[in-house]
Amino acid sequence: MGFDHGTLVWFSKSFGLFYLIGLSLLVVAYAYWPSNKKQFDRVAESIIRDEDKPWR
Amino acid sequence: MFGFHYRLERKAIGLVLAIIGVASIGGIVEIAPLFTIHQTVEQAPDMRVYTPLELAGRNIYIREGCYSCHSQMIRTLRDEVERYGPYSLAVESKYDHPMLWGSKRTGPDLARVGGKYSDEWHVAHLNNPRAVMPESIMPAYAWLSRTALRTDDLGAQLKAIRAVGVPYTDDMIANAPADAYGQAAPDSPDAEGVTKHYGAATNVRAFDGVPGSLTEMDALVAYLQILGRLTDAAHKPVAAVGR
Amino acid sequence: MIGQLTIGERQFALVMLLALAVIGFAIAVAGRDDLLGGHGALVILVALAGIFAVIHGYYLPAPSEQRFERYYDDPTKVGIIVAMGWAVFGLFVGDWVAWLLVYPELTFDAGWSSFGRIRPVHTTSVIFGFGGNALIATSLYVLQRTSRARLPDQLSPWFVLFGYNLFCLLAVTGYMMGITQSKEYAEPEWYADIWLVIVWVVYFSIYLRTLARRKEPHIYVANWYYMAFILVVAILHIVNNLAVPVSLGHAKSYSSFSGVQDAMTQWWYGHNAVAFFLTAGFLGMMYYYLPKRANRPIFSYRLSIISFWGITFFYMWAGSHHLHYTALPHWVQTLGMTFSVMLLVPSWASAANALLTLNGAWDKVREDATLRFMMVAAVFYGLSTFEGSFMAIRSVNSLSHYTDWTVGHVHAGTLGWVAMITFGAIYASVPWLWKRESMYSARLVEVHFWLAVAGTIVYVFAMWNSGIIQGLMWRTYSESGTLAYSFVDSLVAMRPYYIARAVGGLLFLIGAVVGCYNIWMTIRTAPRTAGEAVSAKPDSVLVGTPALQPGE
Repeated sequence: MGFDHGTLVWFSKSFGLFYLIGLSLLVVAYAYWPSNKKQFDRVAESIIRDEDKPWR
Repeated sequence: MFGFHYRLERKAIGLVLAIIGVASIGGIVEIAPLFTIHQTVEQAPDMRVYTPLELAGRNIYIREGCYSCHSQMIRTLRDEVERYGPYSLAVESKYDHPMLWGSKRTGPDLARVGGKYSDEWHVAHLNNPRAVMPESIMPAYAWLSRTALRTDDLGAQLKAIRAVGVPYTDDMIANAPADAYGQAAPDSPDAEGVTKHYGAATNVRAFDGVPGSLTEMDALVAYLQILGRLTDAAHKPVAAVGR
Repeated sequence: MIGQLTIGERQFALVMLLALAVIGFAIAVAGRDDLLGGHGALVILVALAGIFAVIHGYYLPAPSEQRFERYYDDPTKVGIIVAMGWAVFGLFVGDWVAWLLVYPELTFDAGWSSFGRIRPVHTTSVIFGFGGNALIATSLYVLQRTSRARLPDQLSPWFVLFGYNLFCLLAVTGYMMGITQSKEYAEPEWYADIWLVIVWVVYFSIYLRTLARRKEPHIYVANWYYMAFILVVAILHIVNNLAVPVSLGHAKSYSSFSGVQDAMTQWWYGHNAVAFFLTAGFLGMMYYYLPKRANRPIFSYRLSIISFWGITFFYMWAGSHHLHYTALPHWVQTLGMTFSVMLLVPSWASAANALLTLNGAWDKVREDATLRFMMVAAVFYGLSTFEGSFMAIRSVNSLSHYTDWTVGHVHAGTLGWVAMITFGAIYASVPWLWKRESMYSARLVEVHFWLAVAGTIVYVFAMWNSGIIQGLMWRTYSESGTLAYSFVDSLVAMRPYYIARAVGGLLFLIGAVVGCYNIWMTIRTAPRTAGEAVSAKPDSVLVGTPALQPGE
């Protein structure tokens, strides 16, 4: 392996933080993207409606 | 119609890939550096591999689930070091496939139990723990003394564990059954092979007190008596270990 | 069951079962000098029983085209029955194991019944037998409802269900024979592991193929959780079980990892088995059954998405908190600790989401024990995730690790969260599946609920006490600066708590037995509704008849 242990450890220690921040932003952006709201509401409601049949 | 389908498929696959990506990165980042850890951890040139008998004993330890009540990992805490001995080093379990660090102490830690008690004590304790320790809640393992140890496949066992990285020599593999027998039969001609292959310090005794018959009790006691004694690294001052 | 398969599927089933029989025969021959031979024989027996069943029903009329008008629920029905069977068996063994710590002589001087061998029987039966079957059964149900699509075919769900139970059977019988890898919650040996991978791939393909025919473009969040469960368990299972078998005729294998790498891999697996088997899958269950039963949409769909990614992301880093103060490098321990604490955020988001959904429906919670099961599950989920984050803090862990506190924590999660949400989901789906008005007896659901709650509380409090006392005794120093207590002193102090724990477990077991009786009577006694009598014959063959239980 060409990787030095020190390099790998440094990468692991720093990368996690950036990755965490980046991913959180992405997820929150997706969840709160205005055009997604209608879809989410519809899906959340849809499981309550009883349709005991496949759609086609 | 086809286009509509295709889009739906893509969505599901996208979700799948996202889950795999997000989930695996944590593990990779955390575990990958451990595979280069040999560059920094302590060295133990004096460390030897398990003898065939000890390995067989270890497999019995695994088979009986001893690890569910006994840990083999002394933590770096004062009370643990005083109770059980010097804290465990990574190098000490480098030949352990798998490791038996354990997660629960219903019974005491066994990382350094080797040499702490006599063979007779272990045999009596395993046959009936309450005969030795009235308060003990350990199951009795009396049938180990009645069961002959299987040795015909020990060569294959050593070969398999060599395949995952434990340095057994061809000589050791070829002589595995004889070495297993010899280690528990000090007066037999096979006993010499054991010290030749594994070093003069190897325990060669009739572990269960009955020379000539090789039982599972011999193997398990041989294993217990070597725990913590494959290397002296943990007993040396920290600086000398080269952390 | 066979009547519902198309002729082509019946033929394919026969081919597969023949192949399985041949594999079993090969294993039996190759492993004739080893414990493996016994498992070969077991596989042959299972395959022959399957072949007999298929031939027996082979000439039944082919299923009508009308089947596409309905969801395919029979695998779910059988899965629920099998799950309850495993629950009673696993809880019984668990209580036996608990009594072994009080009366160590209960082993009859035999190997198969000693603590170390039947403890994994307990853990595997309840986690994989009960939990796994419940997840498979409910996931197929939820998948069809939320996609509004029928399962892609009639054969693959049965393959998954029976194949999975064959894995559980190999695991549990193996431990008693002495076949184990010793890796906690991954004890089955290499051949069983390979078999599970095959089953899992088919399981996943069912998911993808059904989703591809869904009505709503958006995939409902419950399916996200179920899919994370399937996918990540596959990753964990494959990586942690990498091993070299002694030979193709040996049950024994040696793990590819050793020492510190193995410890990290094992607890990366172990903790994420908790995360993705015992949490993600059951959250999927919760996100469908709780809103459905309360008849209110989930409080915040957005929050469920955010907590989904939070859980998927954070859990993967947390495994190293099992290895505080060990030979694992310090920075890895710190990383695990930090992420474990952060994990509280998505965990509590899910718990709060569940409880806030019930806001405005508390009258239902009071009257309906089924919904109350789900409510209590959410509460225990919140409690045990808080406790988990707390115990992952290094200084707390120095006290709690290796003690009964950990055992108490695990059972707060498994009894309080996993089992309760499952019982809730099962009580909700049984009347829906068998087309009944309600369960046979609402009162017995109530009895089960209180037994389960009482059992869990007794169990968890006993283990908190014993664990903390144990941890304190081990580290207490006398005035002269020496350790105050021997190990045996701490053991003697545990005895009353071990008795209390075994009693708590017994209450929980009795509750599950009551549940089984109630489900059985619901299936058997209530009259069939008129709509069903009209439906096509072959499909309703199984309706109302208890199916055979593999794995029992």
